[in-house]
Amino acid sequence: MSKNVTVTRSSNMKFLYAGIVIALILAVLAPFLASPDPDGLESAAGGLVGEEKLAEMEEAGSVFSSPMPDYAIEGMGKSGEVAAIVAGTLLVLGISYGLGKIIKK
Amino acid sequence: MHIPDTFIPLSQAIIYWIIALPFIFMALKWAGKEMDDTKVPILAALAAGIFAIQALNIPIGMGTSGHMVGATLVAIIFGSPWAGVLVLTLVLLVQGFVFGDGGITTMGANILNMGVISGFVGYYTFVALMNSKLNLKVSSFVGAWLGLLVSALVCAVQMYLAGTFPLVPGLIAMGTYHFIIGLIGEGLITAVALSAIASSRPDLLESKSLAKRGVKA
Repeated sequence: MSKNVTVTRSSNMKFLYAGIVIALILAVLAPFLASPDPDGLESAAGGLVGEEKLAEMEEAGSVFSSPMPDYAIEGMGKSGEVAAIVAGTLLVLGISYGLGKIIKK
Repeated sequence: MHIPDTFIPLSQAIIYWIIALPFIFMALKWAGKEMDDTKVPILAALAAGIFAIQALNIPIGMGTSGHMVGATLVAIIFGSPWAGVLVLTLVLLVQGFVFGDGGITTMGANILNMGVISGFVGYYTFVALMNSKLNLKVSSFVGAWLGLLVSALVCAVQMYLAGTFPLVPGLIAMGTYHFIIGLIGEGLITAVALSAIASSRPDLLESKSLAKRGVKA
């Protein structure tokens, strides 16, 4: 392996470690800093969809019951939210690293 | 902008899945060709960072908030919009199945809007502006902002076709909110992140690698 590739590899590992640190800091802070206001799509729906239809849509719910809805763990408050987002971050990290390793040339 | 299951009827949601699948396939094909041991850590770091930052909603006034999407940032760093499609697909899969953020039937539409449209518009706007001699910060800011805005307008049209929003009021509401979310949540963060990378890892964005992105020296 040439010297350049070795240098790139080790500085890219540093990029990974820095990325993990930044992602985990964001994950821990998000439950405290994130705005609880509805996002753009929800806000638009609130203004444009009649109350009756919104209630109907709420009732219909989603087709799949996710284990940690709304990035929270039931009954665990803020610490549950931190745990949920940290878990999600690590899961995405693992899946993308694993997929990258499997699919690489 | 994560569309829940209830916002699009199943028959239409399936169509968006069918349109999204070839893009996902092409993104995987891109990864098979471009990924090597040195690039996998960059991919994983970006995917984890984008998942985390998507949990951080920024208030934009009008009782509304928004967060970064990130496809343009990933596309610029890797020099290909397919990288943005790949990362957003992985992030949306975890968000939808684990956290109920964005529907399962509507995941195809979400991948199409956030992974494909925001990333392609953002990336090619960036390349065009760099070729017009604008600097990295301005080009990435405008590209990321426009990518997000266009994807929100497409989302408004999908909501109209679904019978969920009326057309013009939907375009105005989605356009107004995402015009602002695009400035702060997408444009600013993309430009700041790229500036940080340009100073800490200039090799990732040097002119030789920018040339590969179609940016003329």
